[in-house]
Formats: sequence, structure tokens, C-alpha cells
Amino acid sequence: MKARHILYLAVSLLICFLFSLVYADTFGTKKKRPKPDEFGNIVLNNFSEKKSIAPVVFKHWLHRSKYTCRVCHVDIGFAMKAGETGITENDNKNGLYCGSCHNGKEAFGAEEKQFSGDTRKNCDRCHSSGKKVEFKYDFYTFRKGLPLERFGNGIDWIKAEDQKLLTLKDQIEGISIKRKKLTNPKEEMLSAKVPGMPNIIFSHNKHAVWNGCELCHPEVFGVKKGDTVYSMQDLFNGKYCGACHGSVAFPNDDCQRCHTEAVS
Amino acid sequence: MLLSDTVFGMLKFDLWPLPPPEEYGNILIDRTSSKHNVKPVTFSHWMHRTKYTCRVCHFELAFAFNTNATEITEEDNKNGLFCGACHNGNIVFGHTRENCEKCHNGDISYGREKFTELKEKLPKAPYGNEIDWSEALQKGTIKPKYSIYKDEKPLDFNKLLELRAEWSGISPAVFPHAAHVPWLDCANCHPDIFNIKKKTTKHFEMKYILDKKFCGACHLSTAFPIDDCRRCHPKMR
Repeated sequence: MKARHILYLAVSLLICFLFSLVYADTFGTKKKRPKPDEFGNIVLNNFSEKKSIAPVVFKHWLHRSKYTCRVCHVDIGFAMKAGETGITENDNKNGLYCGSCHNGKEAFGAEEKQFSGDTRKNCDRCHSSGKKVEFKYDFYTFRKGLPLERFGNGIDWIKAEDQKLLTLKDQIEGISIKRKKLTNPKEEMLSAKVPGMPNIIFSHNKHAVWNGCELCHPEVFGVKKGDTVYSMQDLFNGKYCGACHGSVAFPNDDCQRCHTEAVS
Repeated sequence: MLLSDTVFGMLKFDLWPLPPPEEYGNILIDRTSSKHNVKPVTFSHWMHRTKYTCRVCHFELAFAFNTNATEITEEDNKNGLFCGACHNGNIVFGHTRENCEKCHNGDISYGREKFTELKEKLPKAPYGNEIDWSEALQKGTIKPKYSIYKDEKPLDFNKLLELRAEWSGISPAVFPHAAHVPWLDCANCHPDIFNIKKKTTKHFEMKYILDKKFCGACHLSTAFPIDDCRRCHPKMR
């Protein structure tokens, strides 16, 4: 009995020690940055593992090469945080969320009829976490020929579209409304708080192409200038610009991409 | 044991042993090389920093600050990531058979003759490579590239911080943004290593610096070593 108590004590001390080691490593060091093919990939595991199915790996790079952000995050209604949408199999079958497109018409569905008459199951193409899956699209093959950029996926997405190397769909039949493109929205100059730090030019133009107005306003940012007060630290914590920039759009590391206007 | 470590750790500093100047900042990268019967890669910081700022590799190319922490593979290099961003046969020699030994040589003092030659031309310093790299950059003796992607200039941010020491009797440390900004990007240090709001960085103490945290990420093995106390604590007697 006594020996067992000592063992318990030793084990709990060891656990505390290991925890302190893990904790000790979390400050004062640089975090690892994801590789270009991993950037923007998210794992969705609300129900998968509970049902003994591999979680879904969702690749932003693949989807954004075909659709604007707006289609999924506004029209279809996906949340901005992985796992927050709580997608179920039934939802997909009812044509919600992934099922809006992955229905065998717009994109591959759960099952496909082959020319041979057999049915092919497509489960692995999405439920791929931890599995070795031969994908239809390879990231680095896809990236070849596209204009390169540092950070994130290492692709200059804006330039790729300008050069007509990518054409993005902004509407899905039956889900989106027909809308006209926004023309010439204003560029905004935002002043930096720290003296000596260059001001920020926010380009409505670049953002509206993919997001429309509704992805950011009024929830992430209010509509009246000056009403939304935020700091760089908030962005690092995934709020405001940080809702996209850091995990999907180019990361906040790229300071000079936003802080461009030197203050004299 | 833990307790005694904590107590004595506060009373004495074990400085890192200093290699000879030609080997300072040289690292052997051996994540998978030896396992594949290939010699480890010698990476020489002094050689690379004459041509590129720290920022190019550690910011634009995402190299980690710890040896072997970056998961570099042969495939990555061929896809133009990491070493392969420059070592592609265009910018500099590529990842081909005849070039293997130039990197995979397992010799920590590889290129020592070149180092001696280089050192003669550059301003002197007491420790590390015994070269004052900052002065060399300022005077234009070396002209490392600031970016391999863009036509960018260092941010004109020269705020000088005075950091009060944890112990009484130790003079404050100074941190010149101006000396760091030409080499590094804001994001090299912020917000992972140092918070962006002054005085909010926790555990910023000498004992942790010696454990490769904070300033120790660079100033133990690559940038001038902390043996050079007065370079940061200028009023120290």
C-alpha cells in the first residue's frame, strides 16, 4: 500500500516536471512556421473521430484557387474559426456547408458513378487526416508557374488573378445572389499608434474582390471609421485583421506589407 | 535537484564555450543526413551573412533559430524552399551531385582559409568571429541583400530602449533598434520572442537568455556572444 503511494507521488511529480518543461519552452522563443503547402490547412474534427472516421483536412489553397472567400464564408455560412461551424454529415447531405458544392455537380460528391458502372467512394479525399492519400492536386505542381511571394503559401494570389492565371467563381447557382462588382472602393489610411512606425494603407479594393463588404462588416469591423479600436496585439490574437491574416491570408509577420506609409 | 538548480542558477552564469573565431556561428545540420549515410551539412553563418541579412533566411525563408528544428528535406530544396530558394543553380550553386560536398561535408570549420582572408578586411571585435559585423555593415564593407523578393529598405525605426536589470547593482541594458533593424525584420523578434508592448515580456531574465531564449536566440552562438557584457550593459564596471 505504502509503496503504491510512493509510486503515485513519483508519477505525479514526474508529470508536474514534464509540464513545467513544456511550459518553459513556450516563452522567449520563436514559433515554428508552417510550410507553404501546410499554410491555411485546417483540421475539422467535430464528429469524425467520435465516429472512428479520420478528421477532414480542409485546404484553403486549393479552394481559393477556384472560389472567392466570400462564397464559403458569406453565402454558404462557414465560420472563420476551424470547428466553429459544427458541420454534420446530415448537413452536407441536405446541401449545406461542404454539401453546397460537394454534391457530384459543382464538385465531387461522397460517391461517384464510374464509367464502368462501379461506385467510387470519395471519403478519403476529405477525411484524410493521418492517412496517406494520393490527391488529385499536388501543391508544388500547382504552384509552378504562379507568381511567387514570401510567406503563407508562397503565392502572390492577387498577381495570379491579375495575370488571369486563376479565375475565381464568386457565385454558386441557388446559393448566391446575382450581384455587381463593387467599383473603386476607397483606400483608407490608418495611423499607427507607435511613434516612428509607418502608417497603414488599407486597400478596400484588394479586399473587396474576394470578400465583398459583408465578410468584414459589421461584425469584424464596424462601418464608421474610428469606431472600431484595436491594437496590433489584438491582431496577433486572431482578432480584426488577424481573423484572416496569420492563418489563411498572408501572415502578420509581413509588417511592411501593411505599414507602408512612412511618417515624416 | 531542481531547487538547487534554480538557486545556483541565479548566482552564477555558465557562459557557453566559445569555439575558435572561424567556427563561431558554424552549425552542423544533421536531421536526417547521417541516417541516410550522407555527411551532415556545414552551414556557416559568417559566409552567408556577408551576402544576405539574417532576415532573408530567418524571415523570408522561414528557417528556425535552432539547429535541426527546420524540417528541411531534399524534396523541399528541390521545390525551392529553404536552402533551395537560392541553391538552385541560378542564384548560387544548386543541389546537384557534383556539389554535394560543398554542403554535405561534415567539417565544422569548412572554409577556414576563406574566413582568414575575409577577417583581415573587416573591423575587429573581441569575441565570436572577432569581427564587428554591425560596423562592417554600417561602413558598407559588406553589402548583404535585405530581401530576395522585394525592393525593400529597413524600417526607419531607431527607438533606443533602456532595460532595467533584475538585480540591484547591475547597470541597465540598452537595446538599440537601430543596430538590429538593418539585419532583421520586426517579425524575427516580435511577437514570438518579445512582446510588442514594452515591459510586458515575461521571464526576461539572464538565466533564460543563457537558455537560448530572448536575446539568447542569437547572442550565444551567432550574433556577438554575451561574453561581451558591456556591449549591452555599457555602464557595467
